[in-house]
Amino acid sequence: MARVDVRDEICPRPALLVRDALETVTDDESLIVRGDYPPAKRNLKRLCSNHGFGVTERSAPDGEFELRIDPSDTAMEASNDSR
Amino acid sequence: MTADDTPALTEMVERHGCSCKVDENSLEQLLTETSLPATAAHERTIGEDAAVRRLSNGRLLVSTVDFFTPILDDPFEFGQIAACNAASDAFATGAAETVDCLVTLGLPADHTAIAPPILDGMRDALAQMGGAITGGHTIVSPWPFAGGAITATTTAERLLRTDGARPGEQLYCTKPLGIQPAMGAARIEEPSLVEQLIGAVDRPIEAIRDDAIAWMTTPNATAATAIASLATAATDVTGFGLAGACRSIATQADVGIVIEHLPVIEGTPALADLFGEGLSVGETAETSGGLLVSVRPNDRDAVESALAEAGVFYRAIGRVTDGDGVLFDSPTIEQISH
Repeated sequence: MARVDVRDEICPRPALLVRDALETVTDDESLIVRGDYPPAKRNLKRLCSNHGFGVTERSAPDGEFELRIDPSDTAMEASNDSR
Repeated sequence: MTADDTPALTEMVERHGCSCKVDENSLEQLLTETSLPATAAHERTIGEDAAVRRLSNGRLLVSTVDFFTPILDDPFEFGQIAACNAASDAFATGAAETVDCLVTLGLPADHTAIAPPILDGMRDALAQMGGAITGGHTIVSPWPFAGGAITATTTAERLLRTDGARPGEQLYCTKPLGIQPAMGAARIEEPSLVEQLIGAVDRPIEAIRDDAIAWMTTPNATAATAIASLATAATDVTGFGLAGACRSIATQADVGIVIEHLPVIEGTPALADLFGEGLSVGETAETSGGLLVSVRPNDRDAVESALAEAGVFYRAIGRVTDGDGVLFDSPTIEQISH
């Protein structure tokens, strides 16, 4: 399971770092994102939903958030096309 | 980082411009817990863009305060934007005469040299509004911030409130949206991340940033003067985005709002998509944004003529309904270059 840490990062950097990380995951791999900037959580969820990725919130320490991002078939096809 | 190794203004803060505002829900909770009472001496107080007090000569004194952290690195431009943004709340009430600003300034102890250019920028912007800096207060603060307490005057006939909108009216906005994605993109410096930006948008990031700065440094005074006697309601579009401004009018006037058209800075839809930001649903923070104005059907031609004659940008973006809440009904997106 791949991980990306966007703690201490503020928008729009978390979205760009997660997009970078999603370029490297395989089609059966999940990406775990740990962050601490509340607007970043909302934007990352919207980013993934808009592009066909599944997003699940996971438990995280106080003041932080953790998202599990699962590539769907559609999202992976789009990602592969852009490589 | 600047050439002499001092941190850039935007590197001194974790949130930029209107993004540093306390979020809408927390603010509402805070006000509920505090239970600030209405005062008989004031026509309007908390919940509106500005407080309004009737003077003995019958004119209305409008007062408001606004300050925020740097959204860009140039201290002069930061000062211009801070002044435009602070005065915008007064303009949203239709008050654009005798504009005075008491500056609120916060500076890191090691970076007080940025004060003069910030104040020069504020003075320059206030001069465009026919206003002036009349005093202020400066503190040491880990995050720099600038803004001010604004007073302005108007008449009862020209006073605008958020609760005056009625079903059937047309909504206008006086600046395009997209400040948050435009300025966010401008802060990206890492080559690999810059590549993502270049791949996503057809327009140079510098051009998008320059447009955003041009809009942010445009005072809402001219727009306010043009529409004050014709509009039924107004507010300014700021940190809570267009959606927040719409919610303010919808809640205060007990009406519904439907948004069908969105003018945006050219290039910002692609950036917002890249960043996951809700530009198409009005959720991007619009530092020093335009006015959101409600107009009776019979007054539409007069308002459009007044804005055009004053040289103010405007677009019809939606309508007031007899429903409730705010609906972004798959708005058409119009990309605007300054």
